[in-house]
Amino acid sequence: MSRDAPLAAHAVNRRRGKSAGLLAAALLAAPVLVGLAYAIGASLGVVAAANDSQPSLARIARVLGERATWDSVLWTLWVAASATGLAVVGAVAVAVAFRGHARGDRVGRALAALPLPMPHLVAGMLGVWLLGQSGIAARAAFALGLIVRPAEMPPLVYDRLGVGLVLTLAWKEMAFLAIVSSALLATRGAAAEEAARTLGASPWETFRRVTWPLLWRGLAPAVVAVFVFVAGNYEAAALLAPSDPLALPLLVAQRATDPDLARHADAYVASVLLLVIASAAVAAHEWVRARWEPFVP
Amino acid sequence: MMVSPLVARGAGERTWRIVLLAVLALSSVGPMLLLAIWSVSGAWFFPALLPHTVTLVAWRSAIGSHALASALGTSTVLAVGTALIACAVAVPFGQQLARLAGWRRHVGAAAAFLPVAAPPLALGTGLQVAALAAGLGGTLPGVLLAHLVPAVGYLSLLFLGTFTLLDARPAEAARTLGASSWQAWWRVTLPQLRRPIAEAATIGFLVSWTQFALTLVVGAGAVRTLPLEVFAYVQAGEDRVAAVGALLLIIPPVLAMAALRWAALRTEVLPA
Repeated sequence: MSRDAPLAAHAVNRRRGKSAGLLAAALLAAPVLVGLAYAIGASLGVVAAANDSQPSLARIARVLGERATWDSVLWTLWVAASATGLAVVGAVAVAVAFRGHARGDRVGRALAALPLPMPHLVAGMLGVWLLGQSGIAARAAFALGLIVRPAEMPPLVYDRLGVGLVLTLAWKEMAFLAIVSSALLATRGAAAEEAARTLGASPWETFRRVTWPLLWRGLAPAVVAVFVFVAGNYEAAALLAPSDPLALPLLVAQRATDPDLARHADAYVASVLLLVIASAAVAAHEWVRARWEPFVP
Repeated sequence: MMVSPLVARGAGERTWRIVLLAVLALSSVGPMLLLAIWSVSGAWFFPALLPHTVTLVAWRSAIGSHALASALGTSTVLAVGTALIACAVAVPFGQQLARLAGWRRHVGAAAAFLPVAAPPLALGTGLQVAALAAGLGGTLPGVLLAHLVPAVGYLSLLFLGTFTLLDARPAEAARTLGASSWQAWWRVTLPQLRRPIAEAATIGFLVSWTQFALTLVVGAGAVRTLPLEVFAYVQAGEDRVAAVGALLLIIPPVLAMAALRWAALRTEVLPA
């Protein structure tokens, strides 16, 4: 549209643009909201109910009153937070170390990106084979004379802390964060960093006060995405996580196939909890971004 | 050109880079190698670091497996279908979202992020009831629709970014020169989008190709994709056949990524 287009036509176009944009937003959110509505309906016994005859809060109250539910929520948040934290540290180290244009930089960035297309399922399989008590890590420990029998290897798979699951998911998600961090460093920051160095800041001060704040803001959406991917992942947890406490996605699956038929609908309550965690992360992220927006360079 | 203090490297930093490169090489290439070795391993007991014997039994049984071949076909149909449909839907969605400003833009971005962030198992648990009500539970079209939910979300976010940065002046010039809005879109904007669309199609393919929980729940076990078969082999203790299946799962994505990188290097104006 040319700059001297009639203002009225412009205003009409903008209004139409707004409503079409909001319609697209509504259509995008609809499947999740429909899924959530069905899950809430099933939790209340309104839809897909086997035995419940009338809507009641009894099931929700019972599931939320169980210790196993909250152990599961806390354990899932612990795994998601620690795997995301490790992945961020690794990704930022890679991005900062290999930010140049030399051959070594390109090789470093390409190697870091390699696990990106790896499905979580395959990552989980590799986690078991590498970190299990007779896995490759244990065999390497034997070769180094650190252990003699597999049982001497500290349990990293099916362990209560979820070390194997955390390490596997951190490795898998680091590739994505490394690509985003490298792209951020390539497009912004160099001038500000050089100015800081010229003004006498040490490399560490430059990183802490210039590089990291720039990276962190650009990385925030990717970090939120990784956090919810890790929290909601089923297949890697099914291969690597302990049976007590249960990861939240495993709790959903376990309740859905419980030998006690009356407990099947408990899976809907647990899945609502998972959806609430994911939605809260997305909402918190947009809220923070909205607050930052005026300050983003 | 002046050597900036950031580029000048000390011996300590060089050592640190070499160590990091070695760790990255081991952690990125090692697992793929492990899969390949595992798929041809015979007896391989603790504490051997390499298999005692090598055999093609797992490959033969995988190639002869009807279940694996049919799962490969189902996965391909779903992934190609998801890539094509999700692109067709997400281009206009992204374009409309990019027109939003202020709080509406945050709502739009959050709405596109929601299907991406929704844990597949939780999303599937709700969608399954809806799919059953629509008579699509346990069917291929039902699973395709389910895969489209996260894929359209991803690609809409991607095109939201693309359209925000897209130079609108060529299309405006075409309009000034008398092109209809459809002509301007088809002959000017769409060619500008060729690369983002290729990237988006790859991502759409991958979202469906690697999908596990949504397929499991909405497909009700009746729609068998490659990830479901591989998981079944792991659970049955058939690790070697699972390794073959896992290689089949990662080869197309790795090839797709390599093709994208190659295309990017060929068309990139800035040095990669």
